[in-house]
Formats: sequence, C-alpha cells, structure tokens
Amino acid sequence: MSEVLAPVESGTYNYKVVRQFAIMTMVWAVVGMSVGVYIAAELAFPVLNFDLPWLSFGRLRPLHTNAVIFAFGGCALFASSYYCVQRTCHTRLFCDRLAAFTFWGWQLVIVLAAITLPLGITSSKEYAELEWPIDLLIAAVWIAYAVVFLGTIAKRKVKHIYVANWFFAGFILAVALLHIVNSAAVPVSLWKSYSAYAGVQDAMVQWWYGHNAVGFFLTAGFLGMMYYFVPKQAGRPVYSYRLSVVHFWALIYVYMWAGPHHLHYTALPDWAQSLGMVMSLILLAPSWGGMINGIMTLSGAWDKLRTDPVLRFLIVSVSFYGMSTFEGPMMAIKTVNALSHYTDWTIGHVHSGALGWVAMISLGAMYYMIPRLFGRELHSVKLVEVHFWTATIGIVLYITSMWVSGIMQGLMWRAVNPEGTLTYSFVETVQAMHPFYIIRLLGGGLFLLGTLVMVYNLWKTVAGARAVEAAIPAPAH
Amino acid sequence: MMPIFSALRLFFSPASGWQAIKDRHYAAVSVFFGHTLPFALIAPICGYLGTTRSGWQLGSGAPVKLTTASALQISLLYFFALLLATLSVAWAAYWMARTYDAKQDFAASLGLASFTATPLFLVGVVQLFPELWLNLVAGLPALAISIAFFYTGVPVMLDISRERAFLFATAMLAFGLVALVAMIALTVLLWGAGFAPVFTH
Repeated sequence: MSEVLAPVESGTYNYKVVRQFAIMTMVWAVVGMSVGVYIAAELAFPVLNFDLPWLSFGRLRPLHTNAVIFAFGGCALFASSYYCVQRTCHTRLFCDRLAAFTFWGWQLVIVLAAITLPLGITSSKEYAELEWPIDLLIAAVWIAYAVVFLGTIAKRKVKHIYVANWFFAGFILAVALLHIVNSAAVPVSLWKSYSAYAGVQDAMVQWWYGHNAVGFFLTAGFLGMMYYFVPKQAGRPVYSYRLSVVHFWALIYVYMWAGPHHLHYTALPDWAQSLGMVMSLILLAPSWGGMINGIMTLSGAWDKLRTDPVLRFLIVSVSFYGMSTFEGPMMAIKTVNALSHYTDWTIGHVHSGALGWVAMISLGAMYYMIPRLFGRELHSVKLVEVHFWTATIGIVLYITSMWVSGIMQGLMWRAVNPEGTLTYSFVETVQAMHPFYIIRLLGGGLFLLGTLVMVYNLWKTVAGARAVEAAIPAPAH
Repeated sequence: MMPIFSALRLFFSPASGWQAIKDRHYAAVSVFFGHTLPFALIAPICGYLGTTRSGWQLGSGAPVKLTTASALQISLLYFFALLLATLSVAWAAYWMARTYDAKQDFAASLGLASFTATPLFLVGVVQLFPELWLNLVAGLPALAISIAFFYTGVPVMLDISRERAFLFATAMLAFGLVALVAMIALTVLLWGAGFAPVFTH
C-alpha cells in the first residue's frame, strides 16, 4: 500500500453486512448441495421423484444450479468482496443502507427462485431460468452492489487499487452487462415471457451469457477472492503482481469470445463456432497466469502448513482451477466436443470447477473470515482437516465417475453397426451409466458431509460470540 | 534387493519402505528396467486378454470384444503411454524440484514416480475383466493408495520437509490431472481422426 491521501477517518468497518452474507453463504451451501445430492440420487434411482412434478429432476436441477451458483457462490462473493474492499481501501463500505438492500434483496431473489423453479416457472434459459419480475429485482440489486463496491473504491484512503478489487469490479460490471442483455424479454403475463431474441441469435446471446457467467461470476470474482485470501492466509505478498495485472486484462478480453463453444455443430454459423474454439484455446494462458500466481504464492508458505489446515483448501482449489481451465479448452476443440457434448463429461468438468475451485476457495475464505468477524478462534482445527479430506475424496469420486460415464456415453451414442444402424438404443446407454451414477452420488454425498462438518465447526466457533466492530487502521506507508 | 521387492515393501510400511528405496540409490536405468518396464506390462497384457476373450457388456446387449489386431495395436499404445506417463511425472518432479528447494536428481524422481504407481500398475490385472464399472471400483482404491504413497514418498526421496513436500506433492497432483486430461483429449482426437478400435460382438 503506497501513499496516504487523507487523514484516517476514525470509525469502523461495516462488518454487519459481511457477517450476514457469510452466514447465508453457509446456509445456502447446505441447501444447494443437498438438492444436488438429491437429484444425483434421482438419476441413480428414478423412483425418488415419487411422481411429483415439483420433485422431478427437470425442476430441481435448475434449483440446484441456482442455489449453489447464485445463492452459495453469490453470497460468498458478496461477503468476501465487501470484506476485501473495505480492508484494502481502509475505509467503511459506501452507504450502509444500500449495502443492507443488496443483502435483503439478494436473499429475496433466492427465496423467489426456490419457490418459482419447483413450480415449473422458468424462462428455460440455462443459468438464467428466473422469470422477468425476478430478473428486474436481480438487476436492481446488482446495480446497487456496483454502486456500493465502486463507491467504496472511490472513497478509498490509499491511492493504489489492490488487484483483488480489480477482479471484483470486473466481475460486478460484466455480470451486470450479461444479466441485463441476456434477460431482455417480452412479458406475456406476470410469470411468462419470451426472449427478446429469436432463433440462433437467442442461442448465441444465451451462451455468450452462459459462458461468461462461468468466466466472470465463477472465475473473475473468485480470483478476486484468491488474490485477497491466499496472500493473507499465506502471510506473504502475491508472487508476481505484474502477472496478476497482465492476466486480469487478458482474461477480461478473451473470455467474452468463448461462448460459441457451447454451440458446436448447431445452427450457429461455422465461423463463429471456430472463433469460439480458438478463443477458448487462447484462454488457457490467462487462466494459468492466475493458477501460477496462486500456487507460487502458497508455495512459500510451507512452514505454516503444520498449523494451518485452511491453507490446504486454498492449495487444492488453485490446483483444480488449473486442471479445469486446461480441461475446458480441450473440450472446446470441435473434435473432442463432438464426443463430449451433452454427455456426463461436461457435468464432471463443471464440478471439477465448481467443487474443486469455487467451493474449495469459498470455504477456505469462510474459514478465514468467520472467526475474525466474531472475534473467536476456530473451534477445532482437527475438524477442518476432516472436512478437507472428505471434500477432496468426494471431488475425486465425482469427477472420475463422470469422466468414465461421459466418455462411455459419448462413444455408445456414436457407435454404428457396419450396415449403418445405431449399435445401442438410448436406454442401453442409460443402463450402462447406472453404476457411475451411484459413485457420483457417493462423491457428492461426501462433499456435502464435509460441508456439514464445517457448519458444525463454525457453529461451535461463533455460538455465543459477540459481533466484532473493527476499527479502521491507518494505511501503512 | 531387486526394485520389485522394494516396491512391495511399500505396501507394508510406506515410510520405512521409501527410506529403504532411497538408501539403495537405484540408478535411473535399474529403476526403469527393474520396475517401470515389467510393471507397465501387466495392464496391457491383461487388457489384451480381457478385451479379446471375455469382453465387456454395455447395457443388456451381448458382450463386446475387440478384434485381436485392434486389441494388439491398442495394447502396444497403452504400454507406451504408461511408460511415457511415468517418465513425464518423473521429469515434472525433476523440473519442479528447484522451486521447492528439493533434491534435483532424475534417478530419485524416476524412483518416486515409478514406485508410487505400483498399486495402479498392479490393479491392471482387473483388466482381464474389462467391465468398466468393475475397473473403476477396483481402480479408485489403487489410486488412493498411490496418492498416499506419493505424499509419503516426496519428503523422503527428494529430501525436503514434510510441509514443503505437501505443497510439492499437491502441485504434482495438479500436473498429473492435467496430463490425464490431455491423454483423454488426445485419445478422443485420435479416435475422431479414424484410429478407432474395431469391435466384434
């Protein structure tokens, strides 16, 4: 942190909104992962849908994705960005009331999603299923989020804007753009609307949104988290600050073009598909810039590993980030995609990113923040270790079963007899996947179990604790 | 002691097993010919026999087998892929050693990579019955044991503290996962380019 611009204001950080979001992060983690485990069980044992429409896979699946991405991941991002921006800017969050609005507004969005999705009210756009009235509320909350975040940066007490804040700001602005453009729709009634775009353009806008939801919501935001919590937990500066700035701009530029790889071999013009594939391959470079920076920062903190199991969550998350950002470009290659698309390989890929990277770094950040927000020491370091191994084994079971199942599924779909007929009927492919669905259920179940251990641990940590009011320290020179 | 027996000792006591391996200072050549090569033969041979004789069942259909010519070709590629995988893990450990202040010694790195993979090499026997789910169920514990061997082996073989070794081993694991994904993608690319196996029913 460089020079001081103004005398330090006496005051405290707004920890209240951070605490609220942090607690809801854990609540939604349990809810979202439980729904995930339930639908994994439904795929293995379809009888579990009990012939009830609102328990069917088709309705619960969007509930799962919305709950883990936007409720769990979203609350984790709100909490960590509000925490990071105040502490690195040495100033209280801009406008407490607006920050409170973002909290209650976001929780209302989640509750509305949890009601409308099982009822079958959906726009049918993947990861943007919520209908137009909720979309309007999301837009309002998100703009308020941008105002609070950027307003805090504007009134910072240090000249420099730390790189984590660049990632958070990039994520907030890009998500506002993506959400507003993709959700443009013509309402026909309160709970039914049609997309403002038609045909293949609708598909392209949807996947421009969809892939950038991965790129900005699930990557840029969580890289912001990494750039704050990894150096903090490791107790040393970022390995290469220059690299962090370079890969920030590269990531922002390249991600925007990668969407068409979701539409290989569809009605989308072939040149657009090829462009999407090439941009996806290029994306490996900026992604690995972040991974290298994370790993190298952590590598110097080896002496702290003995006493600090939270570091393990961060190491594993960065490793999975490296793996899944390598797998992604591979799967964007048209020849590979011809096999992998629509199969479980995609599900495995998404979960190596979502469980391995996003969830592990969020849980690590929560282990860091929550005791500090309540002025307590973690209840049990041993339980953190238990959580670490349960979660890691869970992820490995999940992704290996989906690799095998997905590749088998893709190969079975394309197998043809010498006379040109299909070798396998669809139901035969489903039957062949059954054992892998059970292994996946086990993997997901272990990950959920680890999260429950964490919730218990954090509960014991904060029970009876009083909220901390942290004074804003003077910036260092 | 032959490298093969050193490897088996790891199953009974990984920590002292690794120490014994280290004390013997195996040369890279003797690790390669005494351990990597013979162990890497297990899976391709069993796979060849399994895919041509018993075959596997997908859904409720008749068992699927490979023609002998196709199975031979794949088994050979499989064998070379296993050797390449072991050597590349050894190379990566050698390359990364300096970053972690570890001993930069190719023979030790190869020993680490090869002896670590012993459970995975041995579980290749299951490929006599190339049922996918069976191989996954048998392979996962083997993988777990290999990973455990790796985490215990790094500090001993490369002379670094246990904490540093944890970071080193995790970075290597990420490398291994990336290499695995690269191999999957390469297989799919080759398959798409016309080098597909030939099945018989």
